[in-house]
Amino acid sequence: MPRGRRSIDPARIVVSTTSGAVPPHSIAAARPRRRAIDPAIAIALVVAVAFVLIAIVWPVLMVVGTALSADAIPIFQRYLRPPQNQILINTVVLGVVVATVGTAIAFLFAFVQVRVPAPRPIKTTLHVLALLPIVSPPFALAIAAISLFGRSGIITRDLLGLRVDIYGLPGLTLVMSLSFFPVAYVSLAGLMRSLDPALDEAAANLGSSRWRVFRTVTLPLLLPGMASGFLLLFVEALADLGNPLVLGGNFTVLSSRLYIAIIGEYNMLSGSVLAVLLLVPSLIVYFVHRYYAERASVVSVTGKPTGRLTEVTGRPARYALLGAAMAVAGLITLLYLTILLGSFTKLLGVDNSFTLKNYEAVLFGYGIQAVQDTTLLASIATPLAGLLGIIIAFLVVRGRFIGRGGLDFGTMLGVAVPGTIFGIGYLMAFNVPTQIAGFTVFPKLTGGAAVLGGALAILMVFVVRSAPGGLRAGTASLQQIDPSIEEASVSLGANQTQTFRKIVLPLIKPAFLSGLIYSFARSMTAISAIIFLTTPQTRIMTQQILNETDAARYGNAYAYCVILILIVLAAMGLLTVLVGSTVRSDRNPSVELAANR
Amino acid sequence: MTGRSSATASTAPATLQLERVTKRFRSPEGSDVLAVDDVTLELPGGSFVTLLGPSGCGKTTTLRMIAGFETPSSGRILLDGSDLARLTPDKRGMGMVFQSYALFPHLTVFDNVAYGVRLRGHSAREMRAIVERTLDLVNLRGLGQRRPSELSGGQQQRVALARAMAIEPRVLLFDEPLSNLDAKLRLSLRGEIRRIQQQLGTTSVYVTHDQAEAMALSDLVVVMNAGRVEQAGHPDVVYRRPMTRFVADFIGRANFVDGTVLGVGPQTLDVSLFGIVVSVPAAPGHRAGSEATVVLRPELVRVGQAGLRARVLASTFLGPLVEYELAVGDQVLLAVDSDWMSHGLHAVGDEIDWSFIPEHTYALPPVVVSG
Repeated sequence: MPRGRRSIDPARIVVSTTSGAVPPHSIAAARPRRRAIDPAIAIALVVAVAFVLIAIVWPVLMVVGTALSADAIPIFQRYLRPPQNQILINTVVLGVVVATVGTAIAFLFAFVQVRVPAPRPIKTTLHVLALLPIVSPPFALAIAAISLFGRSGIITRDLLGLRVDIYGLPGLTLVMSLSFFPVAYVSLAGLMRSLDPALDEAAANLGSSRWRVFRTVTLPLLLPGMASGFLLLFVEALADLGNPLVLGGNFTVLSSRLYIAIIGEYNMLSGSVLAVLLLVPSLIVYFVHRYYAERASVVSVTGKPTGRLTEVTGRPARYALLGAAMAVAGLITLLYLTILLGSFTKLLGVDNSFTLKNYEAVLFGYGIQAVQDTTLLASIATPLAGLLGIIIAFLVVRGRFIGRGGLDFGTMLGVAVPGTIFGIGYLMAFNVPTQIAGFTVFPKLTGGAAVLGGALAILMVFVVRSAPGGLRAGTASLQQIDPSIEEASVSLGANQTQTFRKIVLPLIKPAFLSGLIYSFARSMTAISAIIFLTTPQTRIMTQQILNETDAARYGNAYAYCVILILIVLAAMGLLTVLVGSTVRSDRNPSVELAANR
Repeated sequence: MTGRSSATASTAPATLQLERVTKRFRSPEGSDVLAVDDVTLELPGGSFVTLLGPSGCGKTTTLRMIAGFETPSSGRILLDGSDLARLTPDKRGMGMVFQSYALFPHLTVFDNVAYGVRLRGHSAREMRAIVERTLDLVNLRGLGQRRPSELSGGQQQRVALARAMAIEPRVLLFDEPLSNLDAKLRLSLRGEIRRIQQQLGTTSVYVTHDQAEAMALSDLVVVMNAGRVEQAGHPDVVYRRPMTRFVADFIGRANFVDGTVLGVGPQTLDVSLFGIVVSVPAAPGHRAGSEATVVLRPELVRVGQAGLRARVLASTFLGPLVEYELAVGDQVLLAVDSDWMSHGLHAVGDEIDWSFIPEHTYALPPVVVSG
C-alpha cells in the first residue's frame, strides 16, 4: 500500500480498559455533567408550558372541579337515569350515525380519487367540493338544508309537495356527515396513495381476484385509517354545537343542552355536569383515534410506490362508485348554491326576488363590526397559533426534557376537548380577575366589563383551538427530518436559535403554512366555545349567523356565510403567497409532508 | 497545495485525549446499558484514527461524545489539554461528516459549504474565497449553485466533506461517511478522504465497521467491542499481532488452530500444530503444557506447497482468488489461493499438499479467566 507513514509514534497511544489507579481529576469527572440549556429553548419552553396551563388546563379543570362537588351528584343522577338520559343516548346515537355515514362518504371519495379511473376535471371537481366544508362555517349547510328540505323547503314542499320534518336526527345526519367528512377524506386519500402497489400485485400474482385483493389486502391495510377517521368524526359530532342549535329541533344532545343550561338558565353547576358527561367520551375516543392515526401512519411507511396502483376497471363497479360520489357532490353543490343564491334573495322559497340588501346589512350596516372583529382576531390568532404549534412540535420532537409527552397531550386537549367546555371553562376561570395577595395577576377576560371587551378571551380560544393543528403538522414534518441535519448545523458553529431559524424553519415551511391556513380557517369558523364569550363590544361572525338564522333572516345569514368563505379563501391565497413563495418544489422529498389536520 | 493548507499549518494539529470515558444509556426497559465502557485514548495531532467495530460497539457514541452531542456519564475529553465538558457542540470547532450526509436540502451547495464559514465573522470576500477553495479541494468546482438533491451520492458526500472542512476544524469527525455508497465509489472516495486529510494535516477520527476502510485510511486503528477498546495500533500491527480472538476475527479473516505449548521462548512458543512442532511468534504469558490458540490467516495457507496434506471440502472460484475449505485431520481450514494459475484448480474431494510459514502465524495471548 503506497501509504506514507508519518512520524506518529504508536507508543503514544495509551489504551487502558482495566481499572488501574484513578487519576486525581477523574474523581470530579465521575459526576455526570449536564450541558447548559440553550436560553432560547428555555424561554420557548416556559411560554409553551404557561400557555398550556393557563389557557387550556386551568379552564378545563375549573369545569371538572365544579362537577366533582357533592351538589353535582343529583344532577349526574338526573342525566344518567330515564327520562333525562335520553340526551346522552341521543348524543351517542348522533355520533355513531354521523361517524358511520361520514366515514363511508370519505372512503367513497378517497377511493374514487385514488383508485377509479375518471377524467381529470371530474376528479378535481370532486376534490374541491369535498374540501369546501372545511372553509365554511360548520352549520352553513344546516341553514341551506332548512331552505331546501325544511317544512316549507323549496324541494320538499314546493317541488315534491311533501310535509317532512328535517329537524332532528335525519337532518343532523345529513348536514353533519357532509360537514365533517372532509377531514377523514384527506387522511384516507393520503393513506390509499401511500399503499405499496406491489402488495396488490403480490396478491394478484398469488391468484387473488380483484375483489379478493380488495377484501383481503387493501381493506385490512386501510382499516386503521378508517377507524381513526370514524373516531375523529364521532368526536366532532359529539362536540358540535352549531348544527344541533340550528337543526336539532326536539332532538336534544349534550352540547345543546349544555348551551341552554349556561345561556338560558345561568346554571353553572348543571352546565359543568353536562360538560363532564361530554368530556369523558370525547377524550377517550379522541385519544383512541390518535392511537389508530399513528398506527395508520406506520402502515403508510411501506416504501416508495414501485408500480401503478391497481385501478377499478370493471364497468359496473366503476360507474356505481363514480355515480355515488357524484350524487354526494351534487348534493354539496346544491347546498352551496342555495347559500349563494339565498344571499342575493329576499327570503329564499318565500320571496325569491333579487336583492343586495343582505350584503348591505352585513357589509355596510350593523354586520360589519362582526366581520371586522372576527377577521382581526383570527388574523392575530393565526400567526400566534402557527408559531406556538411549531415551537411545541420542536420541543416535543427534539427536546430532551421530562414531560414532553405531557406538553404534547396538554396542547392536543385544545382540540380533544369539545369547544363548549372551553366556553364554560373560560366563563368560570376568567369571569373575575385572578388576584394573588391583592395584585391582579390576570384580568377579567369574559362577560361585561371584561378586558378589551372580551376580545382577549376569544383570541385565547382561537389559539387554543388552532395550535394543535400546527403541532400535528409540525410534528409529522420534524419527524421526517434527519436529526443529523440539525446536528450538522450545530457542529458548524450555529447555536440552537440559529439552527431553528436557518435550518428547521425553512424545512418545515410547508407544514408551517398548512398550520397557518388551518388556524385561520378554524378561527373564522369556530362557534362552540366562542358563543359563550362574545360580548356587545366583540362580535363574531358565526355567532351573528346563528342569530340571523334564529330570527329567520336567512338572507343575512347566507350573506355572512358567503363573505366568511371568501375571507377564508382570500387568506389562504394570501398566506400561500406570503409564506409559500419561497417554498421550492424541488426540495428533498423526505421532508415533504401532506397537510395534516 | 493551496494557500489553505499553509494557513492550517500555522497552527499545530490538535491532540485529542479521552480519559476513562464512559457512557451509560437508559434502555426503554429501564435498565442501564453501558454503551462506552472506560475508554482511554490519546490521539496525536495530525493523526487519522479509526474507531472500528461491529454495530453497537460504542464507536458512534464515542464520536458523538467528542462532537458534544452526547455527554459522557464519566470521564474527560481533552482537546490540546483542555477539558471540553463545558463547551456546547457549536463551540467545539469540530467538523463532522454524517452518515446520512445531513446536507441542508433547502440550501445550494455553495450555501451548505458557506454555512459554517458565515458564522465565523469573515468578510464576504474571504468567505467566498474559502468556499471556492474548499469546493476545489473536493473537486466540486462549478457545482456551487446546485441543490443537494441534484447531485449524485458521491457528490453529496463531497459536499458534506467540504462543509465540514470549510470551518477549518480542529478535529474532523467522520461517522461512517461511505456506508451509503456503492463499492466502487467507496474505494475512490476513501482514497480522496485520505489525500485531503494528509494535505490539510487535520487530526481526524473516523468511525466505520468496514475493516478494509479502517486499514486503508488509518494511522491508528482502534478496535472496539461491547463498549470497550479491544486493541489499538497501526493497521499492520493489529493485523499481524491481534491481541484477542475478536480482533483477529474482525480484522480480516482468521483460522484459529489450538495446539499444546511444548516450550516457551522469548516472544516465541514451541507448539504442536497439525501433528508437527513449530516455533511461532507469541504474545507473552503462555506456560508450557497449556493450550495456545494460533491465528493462521487464510492467505498464508500455501496451497500446493509440499509439507502437509488436506482434503478439499468446498471450493469457490472468485477470479483472482480461489477459496478452499480444507479438512486437516478434524480441523477445517479456510484457504485463499491467489496463485491458482500456477498450480491449477482443485476439485472437492481432492487430496492436496499444503504448508504454512510458522513465522507468519501468531499465538494469541492466553485467555485469563478473571475472577
